[in-house]
Amino acid sequence: MNRRRLVDYVQLGFYWLSGLSVLLVLLAIIAYLVWRGGPQINLEFLLERPRGTPLGSAGGIFPAIKGTLWLVFWALFFSVPSGLVTAVFLSEYGSRWRIAGLLNLMIQSMAGIPSIITGLFAYALGVVQLGWGISLLAGGLALGIMIFPVIAVSTRDALQAVDNNYRLLACSLGVSELYALRRIILPRAMPGILAGILLATGYAAGATAPIMVTAAAIISSSSGAIFEPVMALPYHLYILFNEHISMDNAYATALILVVILLIINMMVLWLRSWQERIKQK
Amino acid sequence: MFIKTRDKSIAEKLIVAALTTSAIIFGFMLIAILLFMLQESWAVWSEISVWSFLSGTDWRPVAAVPQLGIAAMIASTLWVAGGSLLIAAPLGFGSAVFLAEFAPFWLAAVLRPVLNILTGIPSVVYGFLGAAVLVRYFESSFDLATGESLFAASLVLAIMILPYIISNSESSLRSVPLEYRHAGLALGVSRPYMVWRILLPLAGKGMLGALVLALGRALGETMAVLMLAGNILLFPSSWFSQGEPLPALIALELGSATPGTLHYQGLFAAGFVLLLIVIAINILIHALQHKLKNEVSRF
Repeated sequence: MNRRRLVDYVQLGFYWLSGLSVLLVLLAIIAYLVWRGGPQINLEFLLERPRGTPLGSAGGIFPAIKGTLWLVFWALFFSVPSGLVTAVFLSEYGSRWRIAGLLNLMIQSMAGIPSIITGLFAYALGVVQLGWGISLLAGGLALGIMIFPVIAVSTRDALQAVDNNYRLLACSLGVSELYALRRIILPRAMPGILAGILLATGYAAGATAPIMVTAAAIISSSSGAIFEPVMALPYHLYILFNEHISMDNAYATALILVVILLIINMMVLWLRSWQERIKQK
Repeated sequence: MFIKTRDKSIAEKLIVAALTTSAIIFGFMLIAILLFMLQESWAVWSEISVWSFLSGTDWRPVAAVPQLGIAAMIASTLWVAGGSLLIAAPLGFGSAVFLAEFAPFWLAAVLRPVLNILTGIPSVVYGFLGAAVLVRYFESSFDLATGESLFAASLVLAIMILPYIISNSESSLRSVPLEYRHAGLALGVSRPYMVWRILLPLAGKGMLGALVLALGRALGETMAVLMLAGNILLFPSSWFSQGEPLPALIALELGSATPGTLHYQGLFAAGFVLLLIVIAINILIHALQHKLKNEVSRF
């Protein structure tokens, strides 16, 4: 009996330990970044372009922030319309077509494509075959392909979560399907859809592999011209570290990146809880 | 899902038709990507045999007589990903059980968002921290020339895939019907015993699925392995040697490979192999989920 007890306690201890270790990992990451990167961050760091020799050892990261915003914009440009259309089809019209099951499997599999592969694809298609060169547009395409399944799946799920009685009711009142979709179904799924898009935004902002082969430059003004390479926060971090330019600035850049993504993820969680409340009404 | 109605205006029919066509086109992008990669790498498959590309250990794409073999990279990829599962699985399953069964309500309410936030941290940040902290630590405390190794990459990768393992395992633990818990506890066994003998066997398949999903993530992860694995094109002799996994190879060499050369095509062939592995894993998960559903309904 006593040995049984001991085994129980060992198990219980292991469960608690592993559960708490996750919390510890996050706290350690954030605390360490704040400790090492925090002192470097000031208004100048955010709003100046990189300076010093080698470039980046002084000055700020403004072009990288701007470049990341541009990349995210183009990624959303490529993925939001296509993602929404696919999701509406899968959720509202899919069952009339046998192909929908296959489509679901494809999109699920697309979500598993390694990000470097989307970069490789966008490189061959955009950079080489279409002759865009290393450019903002090619990076946007790579990121867009990467986040397309995220948007499609989360929008599909948000639409499917809307109570089917709304659809039946609209139908019985003689309202056209598209009108019902626009005025009843979409608004009720909106927080969930926005959460999905925001989540995808976060992925796009943090992804490095797809843009390092298609869009990123070590130094650029990130003017927003679509055939010019841009700087981007994650790539800038990689370069600062890998080329031994400045550890301090690397920590500061990492901190900025993590804080941006922290805010985005908090908003995603908030939107999801809002969606839950709508559903329960 | 709307029910089917007959009376639709022509405009509406057109819009629905356009919606359907474009959705099918977007959905089949995966096939397009696969075909495109196959076409770009076709020269490799026709000039060098598939087997010698996969089993060759020499990667000298720009030599006078180019040699393309990715066995060393495949081995590195498998070491890194498999190793990260080995580290993350016990911790992940433990945390999942903790969240599903033992965590006080308030602590679970803190931990779940923490998992979400951990998945949101970009891989380059994990890679950077791993390289700046972990690798330095290995170098100073074990007196190594370089702390970069497949093991270091596995360790950081384990942290990255941990949240996926935890949240998917937890949901499969929760899908075990409450009656089983109640029946177990009513027989007077302790909660840990109930978990060990009832919950874990029943949720096992789902937890295995979580592991496979995490494997898919780990295989394709680029930045962390690029910054930690050491990037040496040698066949890895152990977990603690250096290597260059497939994603790192592609990321490092794509910029310098001239389009149209065997080097360029070799990188696409490597990407194609990686893509096939990951898609196979995804289909496996899909099949596993179906099996799992049948299992639960049978009980």
